[in-house]
Amino acid sequence: MKSIFFHLMPYPELPPDFPEEHRSVWVDIDPALYDPEVGNRTYNEYLDELEFAADCGFDAVGVNEHHSNGYGLMPSPNIIAAALSRNCPDTNIVVLGDSVALYNPPLRVAEEIAMLDGITGGRMVAGFPVGSPMDTIFAYGQNPATLRERYHEGVDLIRQAWTRDEVFSFNGKYNKLRYVNVWPRPVQQPHPPIWIPGGGSVDTWDWCAREDLVYCYLSYFGYKAGLKTMQGFWKKVQETGKEANPFQGGFAQFIAVADTEKEAWDLYREPAEYFFNTCLHVYAGFADPPGYKTPNTVRAGVEGMVERAAREATARSEARKSTRGGGFPKGLSFEEMVEKGYVILGNPTQVAEQVHELATTMHIGHLMTFCHFGNMNKDLVRYNTEMYATKVMPEVSSLFEDEYEDLWWPKPLAQPARRDVPEASVS
Amino acid sequence: MSGYATETLAFREGHLGLVSCGEGARVTYLHGMLGNPGEHAFLKALANDGWRVVAPSLPGFTGSSEPSGLRNLHDWVVAASELIDLAGVTGLPVVASSVGAMIALELAAIRPEAFGAMVLIAPFGLWDPEDPVADPFATTLTNQRRMLTADPTASASFFDDAEEMPADLLVEHGVDRYLTRTASAQLIWPIPEFGISDRLHLVKNPVTLVHGAKDEIIPASYLGKWAQLLPNVIGAHLIEEAGHHAEFDRPEDVAAIAKSALS
Repeated sequence: MKSIFFHLMPYPELPPDFPEEHRSVWVDIDPALYDPEVGNRTYNEYLDELEFAADCGFDAVGVNEHHSNGYGLMPSPNIIAAALSRNCPDTNIVVLGDSVALYNPPLRVAEEIAMLDGITGGRMVAGFPVGSPMDTIFAYGQNPATLRERYHEGVDLIRQAWTRDEVFSFNGKYNKLRYVNVWPRPVQQPHPPIWIPGGGSVDTWDWCAREDLVYCYLSYFGYKAGLKTMQGFWKKVQETGKEANPFQGGFAQFIAVADTEKEAWDLYREPAEYFFNTCLHVYAGFADPPGYKTPNTVRAGVEGMVERAAREATARSEARKSTRGGGFPKGLSFEEMVEKGYVILGNPTQVAEQVHELATTMHIGHLMTFCHFGNMNKDLVRYNTEMYATKVMPEVSSLFEDEYEDLWWPKPLAQPARRDVPEASVS
Repeated sequence: MSGYATETLAFREGHLGLVSCGEGARVTYLHGMLGNPGEHAFLKALANDGWRVVAPSLPGFTGSSEPSGLRNLHDWVVAASELIDLAGVTGLPVVASSVGAMIALELAAIRPEAFGAMVLIAPFGLWDPEDPVADPFATTLTNQRRMLTADPTASASFFDDAEEMPADLLVEHGVDRYLTRTASAQLIWPIPEFGISDRLHLVKNPVTLVHGAKDEIIPASYLGKWAQLLPNVIGAHLIEEAGHHAEFDRPEDVAAIAKSALS
């Protein structure tokens, strides 16, 4: 099983009363809360953390795209990937991913991933999310009724641009391009592995199964709650008559590992509560615009993870308002987060056991680990990262590797043909 | 309700829903964001005033299939033109509301014979940055209901499930409601202004404007803006105690205005 060090890059200094005094961390978050000096420090610390994870031996580092929010400071994951590309020469980079429908034309994604694949010598994974409603509909003004159609057309355009060996015309419903000719071409042929992060849409399961794409359930709510979603995906894979190769699945999980369980409880409480009660403080009205879900998903009654997070955050806000003067109800407690599996916590043995259970129960071969979350300070991030890499990963990395081939992992150029680190200066 | 009937007509690759009721001179009702949610008080009020009401559903709204192939406003207007011909209501007087009023105006601008006299209830289409149209989608379903009518019970036929409805139909009712909201979003997201003010001089039809004083989506100030821009306004009515869908909040009052304006 591959472990990817995934970073959300949250803004770490939202005020303690943010959930009480502000409606949402996304879309209409108060611009005055952003301190550019904090931003400067944060970006560089976060890049350090990603590079440290690469040095520790993670199979890959992962980044993603969000807009107008304090939850994640990466409007452009490709910029972060570019910053990492030459400083992490021995790891892979998972961009999970570029919200295809937000690019006009989406060919820009094909070009930038091809550039990154060229710089890294073929160490890229290309992720194509539809994008959250907050990012796509509200922050970027896409029409919810046409977003998914636009997204699928964009992915089709990118795949054609990477695979066709002639200049061609693309006459789409939303994209009209007389001449499609991506230069540079990706190093990986026919193209970098494509992973699809999903939030629970039943039609995405079907599409990934049919098209042999990796389905990644990027849940906030742990493997216990995510099992049903992954089972839904594997059922679709089985219906296509294909093998349920665990490397076609991915999952995201918060990790809190320390020398002892008691130490873990002490160390990770504050950053976990910051993440779940502040970074996920999303107004419910931003989570489910009409048209964002497919009719099949509505019919199946599936609630997306963002929708769930927003619903719970809004319920907490309303509860707070109703009890003003009588003491605020607390947000989600750390004990609840651990009990429900949102956070896997413990000493290395305990964490390895739970990760093993997660991977085998959900049948997933790619684990996006959140070893940084919330407002975790840089020293604790390094500790968590190193503990996972040195004491947990060795216990789980052999999972599935003998039994299945990872068909969706980067295939870089062999050394010494590869050239992706700074050349030594010549004096 | 007198002779309330539903019909389904083949329309392009899908179908078109049509409801009708009453006896008398024919009038078209072109719905708004609530679609045509079964028998409701405004249709009844029009019927009681002696009209034969014919109410086609726009693509994607209650009773009509999803609006595939509709990329932009031009596509919607062409579809509406085809739809009124199919429904046999071309040239009739029309009461049009909300998103339906926006489409009716766009169609009237390029096809003068599409409608006779027009009663327009809170049309979308204008945008005043000093007094902007509210976003009806960045909110919970409960709040959206409050935004659509001053009295939330007035939209019960759209939002509430019938108690005796079987479970499978409840699910489909929920899906239909979702698709109707989706169709509205497709028409007016993110800012419902598509340059109509440059085309309004082409609308020669006599127009009567109606606006709910408690419209929480389109400010009541827009009543005056429409009256200034349309060349042939014969009446403008601000309805007290009415929200965006004034015809749901105050069905008899709006029906009386329609009777006076269209007779």
